[in-house]
Amino acid sequence: MRFPPFFLIFFCWGALSIYSQNKQLLYDFNEIPQALLINPGVQTDFKWYAGIPALSGISIQAGSSGVSAYDLFADDGVDFNSKVRNRLLGAMTSRDELSGTYQFELINVGFRSQDPSVFYSFGIYNEGDAIGYWFQDYALLAIEGNADRLNRRFQLGDLKTRGEIMNVFHFGVNKVLNGKLTVGARAKIYSSIFDFNSTRNKGFFVTRPGENNILSSRFNADMKWRTSGINALKTAASDDTLGNTIIKRGFFGGNLGLGIDLGVTYNLNKQTVLTASLLDLGFIYHSNDVENYILKGDVTTEGVEVILPGALANPDRDFWQDLVDNIEEIIPFENNFNSYIAFRPTKLHASLRHNWGEPVLRNIDCDCGPNNVGANRAPKYVNGVGAQLYMINRPRGPQTALTAFYMRRIGNVLALKTTYTVDKFSLTNIGLGINLQAGPINFYAMADNLLGYQNIANSRYASFQLGLNIISWGKN
Amino acid sequence: MKSKLRIVPIAVLLLTSIVSCVEDLDFSQFNDLQATPSYEAGILYLEAPESVINLVNGTNVFSRNFNFDAFSSDIFADRVLDGVITFIVENTTSKELEVTVQFLDESDTVTDTEIFLVQAAPTPILKREIAYGNSGRSIDIIKTLSTIRVSAINLGDNTSVSNLSDPMITVKSSGKFRVQLK
Repeated sequence: MRFPPFFLIFFCWGALSIYSQNKQLLYDFNEIPQALLINPGVQTDFKWYAGIPALSGISIQAGSSGVSAYDLFADDGVDFNSKVRNRLLGAMTSRDELSGTYQFELINVGFRSQDPSVFYSFGIYNEGDAIGYWFQDYALLAIEGNADRLNRRFQLGDLKTRGEIMNVFHFGVNKVLNGKLTVGARAKIYSSIFDFNSTRNKGFFVTRPGENNILSSRFNADMKWRTSGINALKTAASDDTLGNTIIKRGFFGGNLGLGIDLGVTYNLNKQTVLTASLLDLGFIYHSNDVENYILKGDVTTEGVEVILPGALANPDRDFWQDLVDNIEEIIPFENNFNSYIAFRPTKLHASLRHNWGEPVLRNIDCDCGPNNVGANRAPKYVNGVGAQLYMINRPRGPQTALTAFYMRRIGNVLALKTTYTVDKFSLTNIGLGINLQAGPINFYAMADNLLGYQNIANSRYASFQLGLNIISWGKN
Repeated sequence: MKSKLRIVPIAVLLLTSIVSCVEDLDFSQFNDLQATPSYEAGILYLEAPESVINLVNGTNVFSRNFNFDAFSSDIFADRVLDGVITFIVENTTSKELEVTVQFLDESDTVTDTEIFLVQAAPTPILKREIAYGNSGRSIDIIKTLSTIRVSAINLGDNTSVSNLSDPMITVKSSGKFRVQLK
């Protein structure tokens, strides 16, 4: 079946735009080394770990807050034009989004220092993310037009999108300060492969009764589309060197940035734990292969205007061309190659967990599994229940998700975590994560919005994460 | 421990079984999408004060061709389906006037003519809507429009002056067209 272009645009946008980035199942799941990437201050017990290259951490998330593929393409006999009008134009707003992110680790290694209270971790991962808000007024103009909508302002700010792919090189330190407090920080170098963003557009298009003529059209625009790396990739694609170019740009040959993650875990008492982390507090400075497009100005026209007698002074005057030239002069479409800074989407995680049940395998002098805890740590319990908060800064302001979770540990082999999350994508998001430990081999798999899997096409949010690590706990 | 491990296959089963249904989707529906928006904007505004009319010897007040390429550009001409051009002619001068609007194609062939006979003031505003496409005049008139010719003939005298303030003849026009984007 040939996919129509609209669908491809729609879902490439979606696939690139999985941007929720909430990893509520992995967060504070401290049997899993990758939890360090979401909270560098997580309580760790590992002597060392090593992720299986390219398999240690894979995560993909996709979300649409307004419409699902099923809403539009279900074989339900409803006229497609009606669906577009009712479910897109009539139901979605400019705050609805298609967003997504993916991440996979190339290298992830951690080891405990000679000082047992300090744990180091480092690695490289590749990340891509994008978001596109529903361009309501552009869609309205394209589907219905401006006719019979006098004084209706079509907002140019409805174009709000950004996306990027990069490699992230990171080094983190995790330190137990005392029996209650663990802190951590992770330094990051971002190596951007490409970036585009157009998030601060302003302006409008409006048609009003004219002062002289019947109608007046006003176009007020302050729009900018910034890109880096796109031209290099296009050139590489035509030269058949795309792979080399991606690798080069991903390994310090593109645009670079700096960032930091911060995290903390605090034991309020033996059974209650408070955690928080702030991720990707950073930026990328784009100076290499930059091209920006700008449309800025304010013009009003009522069409060709001829006022006698002055207008007849020059018999060769081309009023139409004068009008076009005047508009282009007032509101020029320009491009430049100026450098720019793009801030990373900073994320905040926090959780409060209460543990209960039997403390498991405390201070066992063996290399026997994840529940073997150091003397300076709170004991692990069979059960844990709590709540998590997640926030991310987005082009239209912060987005929040709230999660309730339950964790269950079963021996040294298995740990389960189930979550219920409320966010703008779903009110019925139930997730399940499983961590299996077979000797030194660690495997985890997590999936979100499980109810949506009854009909994936109808799901507005889906994510999964999996990974494979080798872990050693050493001897106490 | 053995009994606890029983939960493993259950959990794995749960995780794998949820990778289940995708109801049939019919992406070919996209081919049914019809995007036929209607756009409207001003086209031409012309005003001639009575003082200018009175300066002209004879009856031919003016006749002028105005280049107008908006409709014949490919981006519009290839997509336009039908539409309406609205004219509003207002005469506040003291004389009867005949205003003629003609559409010409690239070879300067007249493809459409509209004549407005307007009485001396006070006279009601003359509004005329002309449909193109469907049951109206040929849409090709619009697609090939390259020049608008406006001419005015004075059917009265060239000495009298209206007692209305700022007397003039004005021709206003706007277009509303439906285009096929998909």
